[in-house]
Amino acid sequence: MFELKPMLSALWRNKISALLIAVQLALTLAIVSNATVIVQDRLEKMARPTGIAVSDIISVTFMPVPVNYDMAGAVAADLELLRNMPGVVDATVTNQIPLSGSGSASTYFTEPNQEIGGENANYYQTDEHFIDTLGLNLVAGRNFTRADFDVIGPNDTYEPRVAIITQKFADVMFPGEDAVGKYFYSGGDGEPREIIGVVERHLGAWPSWSKAGQVAFYPLLVTGNHKRYLIRTEPGQRDTVYKQIEEKLAERDPQRVIHLDTLSKRMAQSYISDNVMVKVLSAVMTLLTFIVALGIIGLTIFWINQRNKQIGVRRALGATRANISRYFLVENTLIAGAGLAIGMAAAQVINHFMVNQFSQPVLSIPTLLVCALILLGVSVTAALVPAIRAANISPAMATRSV
Amino acid sequence: MIGYYISLAMRSLRGTPILSTLMIAAIAVGVGACMTVLTLNYMMSQNALAHKDDVLYAVQLDGWDPNEAADTPNELPWQLTYQDATALLRSDIPTRQVAMHRFGFTVTLDESEMRPFTAEARITTADFFGLFDVPFLFGGTWDAAADLSPVQQVVLSKATNDKVFGGEISVGKTINLNGEPFTVVGIIDHWDPSPKVYDLNNSPFAESEEIYIPFGLHRKFEIFSWGNTNGWSHSNEEGYEGFLQGESVWIQYWVELDSAAQKEKYEEFLTGHIRQQKEQGRFQRPLKFALSKPSEWLVLNEVLRDDNRVLGWLSLAFLLVCVVNAVALLLAKFLRKAPEAGVRRALGASRNAIFIQHLIESSCIGVLGGLLGILLSLLGLGGVRQLAMGKIDQIASMDWLMVLAAIGLAVLASLLAGLYPAWRISRTNPSIYLKTQ
Repeated sequence: MFELKPMLSALWRNKISALLIAVQLALTLAIVSNATVIVQDRLEKMARPTGIAVSDIISVTFMPVPVNYDMAGAVAADLELLRNMPGVVDATVTNQIPLSGSGSASTYFTEPNQEIGGENANYYQTDEHFIDTLGLNLVAGRNFTRADFDVIGPNDTYEPRVAIITQKFADVMFPGEDAVGKYFYSGGDGEPREIIGVVERHLGAWPSWSKAGQVAFYPLLVTGNHKRYLIRTEPGQRDTVYKQIEEKLAERDPQRVIHLDTLSKRMAQSYISDNVMVKVLSAVMTLLTFIVALGIIGLTIFWINQRNKQIGVRRALGATRANISRYFLVENTLIAGAGLAIGMAAAQVINHFMVNQFSQPVLSIPTLLVCALILLGVSVTAALVPAIRAANISPAMATRSV
Repeated sequence: MIGYYISLAMRSLRGTPILSTLMIAAIAVGVGACMTVLTLNYMMSQNALAHKDDVLYAVQLDGWDPNEAADTPNELPWQLTYQDATALLRSDIPTRQVAMHRFGFTVTLDESEMRPFTAEARITTADFFGLFDVPFLFGGTWDAAADLSPVQQVVLSKATNDKVFGGEISVGKTINLNGEPFTVVGIIDHWDPSPKVYDLNNSPFAESEEIYIPFGLHRKFEIFSWGNTNGWSHSNEEGYEGFLQGESVWIQYWVELDSAAQKEKYEEFLTGHIRQQKEQGRFQRPLKFALSKPSEWLVLNEVLRDDNRVLGWLSLAFLLVCVVNAVALLLAKFLRKAPEAGVRRALGASRNAIFIQHLIESSCIGVLGGLLGILLSLLGLGGVRQLAMGKIDQIASMDWLMVLAAIGLAVLASLLAGLYPAWRISRTNPSIYLKTQ
């Protein structure tokens, strides 16, 4: 009923054109499926929860101009001022801005005086307001108190006594155990740091780091030549507060340079390369599919024009319109099917190369099949319009120029 | 004859507007996508120090953790400790040598309305300007003595001089950095190598620094690096002096060695330095150091990332699909005109003439597609600039070489696409077409 035999012999006579369409679809599938896994991988990476109320947070970096500056006094006065601003939920001081791509990390151990086999964690020096300011969720233990908080100079030797860590770091250091009340150590050091609390999640300074999410917090202010604040505003108030901060801080103390950013912007900057990858690959996939579809339309129209007479004869001999349309659609499906089959093999080969050479994600069979089905759909849809037009060729064509 | 073929080609393109548009569009999109990605990769692969590639070397020493190699491709820390950098500076073997790192200062002027701002600074030895061929507009660098003792002098970038002094010759004037007076000794011309080969630790596509400060001021200002500081040893010594004499790496080091003999001599010197340090209990790992040329340094630092290579390959595959697409469409178009070719053959045109005529028609499509492709890649680069939030503005732009490459690529692609269809049409037997007419 699908007239396969005459169709195949007709295809054989046009084998080059058929082959060209099949090759296009094969290459397209190989590219699109590999691009799809990369895009999926990056989208998942960017969608990971940060544990932080990113969209409500403003970061401030400031550098005082005078040489002998009372940093501890300035921080206390600034935070007092910021926390009392309308629209501000809370504010905290920090050595680094989370998710910004710059931060500090160290290696930690579960036993004193160890030097090998430690675990890495990103660390922050902050105060007891950091949980509220960042919107973190304290799942065990307690927050810092003012009594835990210390102020030291940049060159002072100092070992923190207490720390709050993320659940992820707790699971790495003390798998299957309750971390609260446990101690951990800096390398080659015997000074114990007590874990007094665990927060559910904090992605840390470097979202692309293999250990992202392993974070420790200490209640500490290290005075130095610049300091940073994080300010959390009421939802929707961020931009209003943003405009007032620089003026307020400058009003309190004009002898400094202030730099403001939103945490959303800093996070977007950290994800630039992933975002570029997603957008460029999506554009490539869309354009490619579009180009291939246009090519199929062009070639099908050409074929049908070539075979006007043949169609006319078939119509005159009693073939229905549906028969004619179906002929071209089945023909297209055959070609596309063959091309996509080759494409699946090519996709696997290319993916192997991508995984080994460029450490990209592995292409799964379901993803490959879905891509193949979508391309088959595109191909058939592209053939649909010319095929329906072909059915309108009048049987009189058969008799015209013979 | 070629002129005639071109006019035939244009007439033929107008004769089948839909097919022609599709073909031009296919080539244009292929070239556009390809050139967008290739331009980025090409600009990221530039070596601003190519002209001194044989004489400049980045220095790495392995004084890292005895228990674990440094986490870099060649298992050597990227930077040096302060104590090693100052020890190497004492050598008189290199023609020039630079110890440096990134920093920042607040900038203010006495009796001025200027708003204080933070300036990106490079703390460096005086050889920086000569070694990296930095051009001076006015003045010059500080005395070499300022690299060893605290001398408050500064070299400004042209942009900083414009910003602070309105572009006047400010040599001899004073600006305040972190509240301390510094005398301006020189102003450099616009100088912005991209990628920033001399400092790849701190985003390779960032702009170069706004001010340059002598290396002798660390103790006076208790300067820490604004770039990466990596450590492995936890044995803290007291105070800032402890930091300077500690095992943290934060100093970037380059040398200029003009001959093989000089290089050999310097390698001996480095070996000697490490041996001497081993005697003092440092450098417990196997003796290892590296001198990398700028071109090698760029590769080692993976300035062109895996992601960029993936995009490069994918865009070439994309162009391939567009070429196959164009082959199919050209074949359809030429076969449709087969009767015309038949008549020409019957009237005496050789197969070669028919072949050439059709190839020229394909290259016309190529040139049109290429021109459109350039516009598309400019759009594409604009898009990438937007996505990158201003981080790669310098590299997301085409130079004339890339424009030529785009047209070349388009013509090559369309010639490749035209080869088979033109051959096929030149082989058809004229008699079939003469009969049916």
